Amino acid sequence: MEIRFTLNNQEVVLDVNPSMRLLDVIRKELHLTGTKEGCGEGECGACTVLVNDEPYNSCLTPVINVLDKKVMTIEGFRETKEYRIIADAFASMGASQCGFCTPGMILVTHALLKKNPHPNEEEIRFALAGNLCRCTGYQAIVNAVLKISEENK
Amino acid sequence: MIKHFAPTSLNEALDILENNDCYIMSGGTDLMVQKHVSSGLLPKFDKSVLYMMNIKELDYINQDDKGNIHIGATTRYVEIENSSLIPAIYKEVIKEIASPNIRNMATLAGNIANASPAGDSLVPIILNDASLILASKNIERELLVKDFILGVRKIDRKANELIKEIIIKPQELNYFYKKVGSRKSESISKISFLGAYRIENDLIKDLRVALGSVYIKVVRSLEIENKYKNISSKEIDDAQFVKDYLALIDPISDQRSTKEYRNQVAENLLRAFLLELKGGSK
Amino acid sequence: MLPEYKTSVKKVDNEDKMAGKAIYTDDIQMDNALFAIPVRSTISYGKILKIVTPALPQGYFFISAKDIVKENVCNIILSDWPVFPAEVHYKGETIGLIVGPDKKICLDLASMTHATYNEFEPVYEMKNSYVHKEFTKGDTSKFLDAVKVFSEEFETGYQEQVYLEPQGMLIYLENNQIVVKASMQCPFYIHKAICRTLGCEESKVRVIQPAVGGAFGGKEHYPSLMAAQLATAITKIKKPIKMIFDRKEDISFTTKRHPSKTEISAYIDKNDNIIGVKIHVGIDGGAYVGCSAVVLSRALIATTNTYTFDNVAISGDAYCTNKVPSAAFRGFGSPQSIFAMEQFINHLADFLHVNRDELRNKYLVKTGDITSTNGIFRDEIILPVLIKKAKEMSNYEVKKKEYAKPGSFRGIGISTFLHGCGFTGSGESTIINAQLKITKDKNNIVRFYTSQVDFGQGNLTTLKRIVVDTLGIPEEQVIYEAPDTNKTLSTGPTAASRTIIIVGGLAAKAAKHLKEIWKDGEEQEIIEPYVGPSYIKWDEDTMQGDAYPGYAWGVNVIEVSVDPITYEVKVEGAWSTYDVGHAIDERIMIGQADGGLAQAIGWAYFEKEVMENGVFRQKTLSDYVIPTMMDLPKMETAFIDNPFPYGAFGAKGAGELTFVGGAPAFCSALEQAINRKVNKIPALPEYIMELMKNGN
Repeated sequence: MEIRFTLNNQEVVLDVNPSMRLLDVIRKELHLTGTKEGCGEGECGACTVLVNDEPYNSCLTPVINVLDKKVMTIEGFRETKEYRIIADAFASMGASQCGFCTPGMILVTHALLKKNPHPNEEEIRFALAGNLCRCTGYQAIVNAVLKISEENK
Repeated sequence: MIKHFAPTSLNEALDILENNDCYIMSGGTDLMVQKHVSSGLLPKFDKSVLYMMNIKELDYINQDDKGNIHIGATTRYVEIENSSLIPAIYKEVIKEIASPNIRNMATLAGNIANASPAGDSLVPIILNDASLILASKNIERELLVKDFILGVRKIDRKANELIKEIIIKPQELNYFYKKVGSRKSESISKISFLGAYRIENDLIKDLRVALGSVYIKVVRSLEIENKYKNISSKEIDDAQFVKDYLALIDPISDQRSTKEYRNQVAENLLRAFLLELKGGSK
Repeated sequence: MLPEYKTSVKKVDNEDKMAGKAIYTDDIQMDNALFAIPVRSTISYGKILKIVTPALPQGYFFISAKDIVKENVCNIILSDWPVFPAEVHYKGETIGLIVGPDKKICLDLASMTHATYNEFEPVYEMKNSYVHKEFTKGDTSKFLDAVKVFSEEFETGYQEQVYLEPQGMLIYLENNQIVVKASMQCPFYIHKAICRTLGCEESKVRVIQPAVGGAFGGKEHYPSLMAAQLATAITKIKKPIKMIFDRKEDISFTTKRHPSKTEISAYIDKNDNIIGVKIHVGIDGGAYVGCSAVVLSRALIATTNTYTFDNVAISGDAYCTNKVPSAAFRGFGSPQSIFAMEQFINHLADFLHVNRDELRNKYLVKTGDITSTNGIFRDEIILPVLIKKAKEMSNYEVKKKEYAKPGSFRGIGISTFLHGCGFTGSGESTIINAQLKITKDKNNIVRFYTSQVDFGQGNLTTLKRIVVDTLGIPEEQVIYEAPDTNKTLSTGPTAASRTIIIVGGLAAKAAKHLKEIWKDGEEQEIIEPYVGPSYIKWDEDTMQGDAYPGYAWGVNVIEVSVDPITYEVKVEGAWSTYDVGHAIDERIMIGQADGGLAQAIGWAYFEKEVMENGVFRQKTLSDYVIPTMMDLPKMETAFIDNPFPYGAFGAKGAGELTFVGGAPAFCSALEQAINRKVNKIPALPEYIMELMKNGN
C-alpha cells in the first residue's frame, strides 16, 4: 500500500505493508537508527517519535496510522534550536548515561514544553512516565527539564 | 487471502465489512502486541485487517440536548482527557491508563472492544450504563456496553459491524475511584474500584459500585444497588454490603497478583467507600 | 535548588547519545548480515538424543554441537558451561542456531526444529550444592557460652537487569580476523571465549565495543556464550551474522541476580552482648556454576557488613538447579547478604529490647578492626560522619519518633553498608594482570588504551580526565576511545567496581610515568602493568586475609508511607551519604548514586521475578515491573571526601556501592510503617498484606 507522510519535514512515500511497525519503517526502511527498540511492547518508550507533535510509541504504531501526518524522529529534532536547549540542560544535569532512553526522553520533553513551558516536578514526572530509564533513577532527567522550566519563566 | 483495508470514511469501512471478516485495528496498542512476531517482522494476522484511524469523521466528542456525550470510535484518550465536555471522573480514570504515549494512540472504543477483564475504562463506562452504537452497512443498533461485553475478549459484534460511537449518559454523582496496579504508571490493574453516590435530604438517591480485574468482566449489580435506594446511608450494614459484593467477584492468581490480595483489597475498598459515603473523610 | 556541578567536565559521549547518533549493536548497518535464531531446549534436564531440523533451504544452516571447532566449552570463569550442550540443564538453553538471510524463515525453521531427549528429573529447589565455602574468625567455641540464641532467615528474589538495550551481537570476517561488535562489558572475556572454543590464536579475533545501552552485570558473562556460538557459526558459514534478542527472549533466558536464602544466628551472653554470630548464605546458581563461586565469595565476605563481631562462623553454598544460570548484577552477592545482616541486626535489637540504632552503633566497624576473614580495615573509616550527615539531611531522629505513633503508616529506615573495591583478594595480580598502554606521537598527541566499557557509568569521560589532569595538558591533546582488542591490552573486565580504583589508578600511574620521561616531538610508549599493594594477602581456598585493597562505604535513609487499604508503598524520600574516597566527577557520581538506589528500591519492592517449573513467569516489561518516573522520589546525596592513598586522585570504587544499601533501608522504613518484621524481598503489597493480617 502506498503510504504518504511527512518525516522530519520531508515528504515520504513508501510502498509498504500498512501493518509494518512505524519503528521498523524508520529503522529498517529509512535507516534512521536514532529511534531505539527496547521492548517491542510499548512499555519502555525508547521507540518514542512525535506524530503531529504528540509522543507515540513507534513499536506499536502501524505505519498506516501516520498517513498524512507529521512524524519527527530525533534525527529531525536535533537540527532545531529547541533541541539545543533541551540537550544542553540534559548535559548539565547528567541526564544521559547509557543514552539508550535519551532520544525518547528528549522528544517527550519537547512535546511537554510545547504544551506547558513551565512544568513543575509533578507535571514533568507525569508527562515522562511512559519512558523508562534504568541508569539515572530519573532524578537528573527531572532536574534537566526543571532547569528549562525555570529558565522559561 | 489476508487483505489490509484503510478506509477514509465510515461508509467505505462498512462496505468493506460486508464482504470481509476483519480484525478492527484502531491505535494498535493491543492488537500490535497480540500479533507481534519479532523485531523487524510484520505482525502475524490470520485474517484481514481494517484500519480505523484514517476515518476522520469518527473523531469527535459532542453533547446532545439530553446531555448525553457522544464519543466517536477513533477518538483517542488524549482527546478525551483534554475535552471540556467530559466529566472529571473519566479523566481521572484515563490519566492512570498505561502511559502518556499510549494515551496519544489508543482509543476508548478500542479498549472497550478489547473486552479485557482488566480494561480500566470499562469500569466507569459500566457504572454509567453507557451504551455504544454498532454500525453495519444497513443498520445501526445501540446496546449497553455491559451487554456488548460477553466475556474475556468476547464481544457481541457481528463480522460486518464496527463500533461507531460510545454514548455516556449524564450523571451527577460523587465518585470514589481507586486503581491498584504494580506501579504508578504503565500498570495493568490488579484491581480497580469505582463507587458512586448521590444523597439528597439524607437519603441515597443513587448508589453504584463497579469493580474491575476481579472477574471475567466488570462487576456491577443493579440488584444490590437497588437495595440501598431511598434509605439513609447510616442504615447500610457494612458487613452485608461487603459480603454481597465479595460473592460476585472471583479474582484469580496470575503473574501480577494473587487471589487473596485481590479479595482482601476489594473488601478494604468497599469498606473505605462506605466510610466516605457515610460521611467519613475521603 | 538545582545542583551546579562546578567541578564536572562535559561527558565525551553525551552529544552523540542525545542526538541519536551513537551506534549501538543493532544500529550497525551490515546489509548482508544473516540472522541467527536460537533453537532452545523444551525440557529442564536431559540428554539430547537427536535434533531434527526440517529440510533447510539453500543458504540456511543449523549450527549445533556437531559444528564445534575445538572445545565445546564457554569460558565463563569456570569451564562447566557448554557452547552447545549435549545434555541440557535448563529449559530454554540454546541447543543450536538457525542461521540464514530471512528472519521470518529462520524463525519458522527454528520452531520446526525439535529435539528428542532422555529426560531426567529436574531439581528446582536449592538443595544440591556445587560450591561450598566456610571460614571462621576468633573462637567459635564461645558460641556455647551463650544464654540466648536469636536466629532468623531472610530471602531475596531474582532480579533482571533490564538494561534498556537488549543483548545483541554482530560477528563478521575482516582482514583475516573474526570481528565481534556486541553489547558487552568485557571485550577480552569475549575474545577469550572465542579463542577457546575455536582453538585459534589470539590475533585471529578482534572485539570492538560499540555504544552499549546499559549492562549492570548482565552483559559481563552472557555475551561470551553468544560469542562462542556465533564464532562456531561463522567458521562454517563465513558470512556476517547478527543475533539481537527480543526483550521477551532476553528476560526469559539470560542471566539474573542470584536468589538467596540466608540464616543468621546471634549468640548472646548474660549481659546481652553478642559473643558470636553464625551465618549461612545460600544462593541459587542455576544450571551452571559460571561465576557463582565468586558471587558466593563476595556474599560471604560482605555478610558481617559494617559490624565487627569477635567470633564468627560463616559458610555458604551455591546451589545447582535446573534453571537459567544466575550471574553478575550490581553488587554481585553482597546486596543479598548485607540485606540479611541489616534486617537481622535490627530484629536482634527488637529481641533484646534495645534501640536499633544503638545496637548497630555498638558493633559498628572502626578503622583497624579485623575483618571477618582476618584481614584488616586499614583505611580510615568515617561511618559515624556518614551516618550523622545522612540523619541530618533526612531529619531522621524527628521523623523516627513521629512515625512511631500508632496508625501513622509511615516509617523511616537507615542502612549502613560497604563494598569491597576491585576483584577479591589478589585477583588483580593473579588473574587479571591489567596492562595499560599509553603512547605519545611526534605531535605530542597522547593516546591511551583500556578494555573498560562505558555503558553509561561515564568512565570514557573519567578515565580520560584522570590522564588529562595527571599530565596537565589540554583535553584535546589526549585521545581515548572505546576498547578495540586490536589496539588495547587487557586492563581487565568492567566489573567489580574496579574501573576507577584499579584502572583509573593504573592510568594515573602511566600518565605520571609518561610525564616524567616526556620528550617533546618524540614518539614514546609505556606499558604500565598493575602492581597491587603488597599488603594484600589473600587465600581463596581458606577465605583468609585481606579480601580487597580498599572499601567504599555508604549510608541510605529512606522514608515510606503505606496505604493501609491497598498495602501499596510510596517512597517519600531518600537521602544518601557515601565515602568513595574522592568523587572525581560529582555529576557522574550523583548519577551512579541515583541510579543504584533506584535499582535497589526496584529490587526491594517492585521487581517480581518468579520461576515456575523452570520457566520465568514474568517475561515482558509489562509483567516484570521496574520503577517509572512516578514511582521514585527526589533523592539527595552527599559524598564525603576521604582520599584513598592508592586511588587516582584518592578515588575508590562506586559502581556497585550505591546499590547495596537501598533494600534494607527501604525494609527498615516499611517495618516501622506497618509495625511488622520484613524478612523477604520483594516486599510486595501481597506480602505486606499477609504480614499485616497475621502479625509477627
